[in-house]
Amino acid sequence: MNEWIYIQNAVVPALWKGLVVSIELIVPSAIMGLLLGIVVGTLRVYGSVFLRLLSDGYVVLFRGVPLLVQLFTWYFGLPHIGIFLSPFSASVLGFTLCSAAYHSEYVRGALLSIKRGQIMAAQSLGFSTLDTLRYIVLPQAIRRALPGCGNEIIYLIKYSSLAYMITCIELTGQAKALASQSFKYLEIFLIVGFIYLVLVSIASWLLNKLENALVIPGFELYKS
Amino acid sequence: MTNRDPILKIENISKKYGSKEILRSISLEIKKGETKVLIGPSGAGKSTLLQCINFLVMPDTGKVYLDGRCINSRKKKELYTYRQQVGMIFQDFNLFDHLTALENVSIGLIRVKKIKRSEANERAMQELKRVGLEEHANKYPAQLSGGQKQRVSIARALAMDPKVMLLDEPTSALDPELVGEVLNVIRNLVESGMTMLMATHQINFAAAVADEIIFMENGTIIEHGPPQEILFKPKNSRTKSFCSKINEIYGDMLT
Repeated sequence: MNEWIYIQNAVVPALWKGLVVSIELIVPSAIMGLLLGIVVGTLRVYGSVFLRLLSDGYVVLFRGVPLLVQLFTWYFGLPHIGIFLSPFSASVLGFTLCSAAYHSEYVRGALLSIKRGQIMAAQSLGFSTLDTLRYIVLPQAIRRALPGCGNEIIYLIKYSSLAYMITCIELTGQAKALASQSFKYLEIFLIVGFIYLVLVSIASWLLNKLENALVIPGFELYKS
Repeated sequence: MTNRDPILKIENISKKYGSKEILRSISLEIKKGETKVLIGPSGAGKSTLLQCINFLVMPDTGKVYLDGRCINSRKKKELYTYRQQVGMIFQDFNLFDHLTALENVSIGLIRVKKIKRSEANERAMQELKRVGLEEHANKYPAQLSGGQKQRVSIARALAMDPKVMLLDEPTSALDPELVGEVLNVIRNLVESGMTMLMATHQINFAAAVADEIIFMENGTIIEHGPPQEILFKPKNSRTKSFCSKINEIYGDMLT
């Protein structure tokens, strides 16, 4: 009974606060990560030699270095060169940059799957390179990249828990604090695990809806 | 400009891939309303030539004139404007897979010519009617047969009001029973006075509609002239052997 009161009075409010922070981290990181990923992926396929090298280098770096190391660099490293980020900003920056590197890979694959004929047809109508990308290539490529990008967003929901390592106290951070006080690790982390599961399920459901909304004949491969 | 001036003229177009010469200094010209047909074995350079004409493939050397104006392909604006005036039909249709038949035809009007969507759709519908596909306007490419796809692609090119059309083996990817419907549309274009340069293996069709047949091999024009001359009295032995081979494959109409 005591336990129940503890959960009601301490755990629920603290985790709720943490959950709000988690969502505040996840939503902008997911959106900006996806957008940046589309830009980087596009540059990696259609950019000039210089831009290609630059964007490839970016992906090598941000996919190759552990996310936690990246977060530490943004939060503890940047002050050494005079840039001070709040724990929240450093986390969003870290998540966005890391997520975009992965998204770009899905986008790149999808872009490469678009047949050259589609581009030639657009060019033969007088489309500029940018308009060809915007109106012909990307609408097709994004449909193909969506399952992969969705996967990355789901992954982001889970790795957002790393934010507490740089003192941005989100869901996992709140749980860690509660558990260290009460030593009820099992109960608290079971609840936290369940909350992440619910978040991921909601995200999967939304992504599925989106995929189905974008289905058109010829692209129904991903209909579920 | 008089009717005698060529609407499209190309001069000394050459193209190499690595050390392989695909086109060797090709020149030709087309007057308004003329239909010229390119024939020749695979690998002769017909496709590359057509693609060089609207700079989908950049020629190494040579000049292209439209209405007497030399096109500077390095100037993007000029290139895009030029391409709007040159319709291109591809062997494998290249319809935009994510757009309906109607959207395929209207997107160039909306995004390139910046015409209002409602007007563009109206025009697109007219063009679909012209190729007999108005009842398929809302279908996606995946729901259309090869012949229907090629007719949509012709409508898409026509909607841009091209001065010249380049057709790259428009029936080669089609099942035999679908070839006729596409050739009929092309025949109507010829009759309506469209200026066309077409690569094809449909020799009989070429004989019926062409003002001139151009025989290409190994990146050069071997022989050109009126259909009767090229198909029945070729001067060049290679033209002769090609025509008789094609005749064997595509039937005995050339008699």
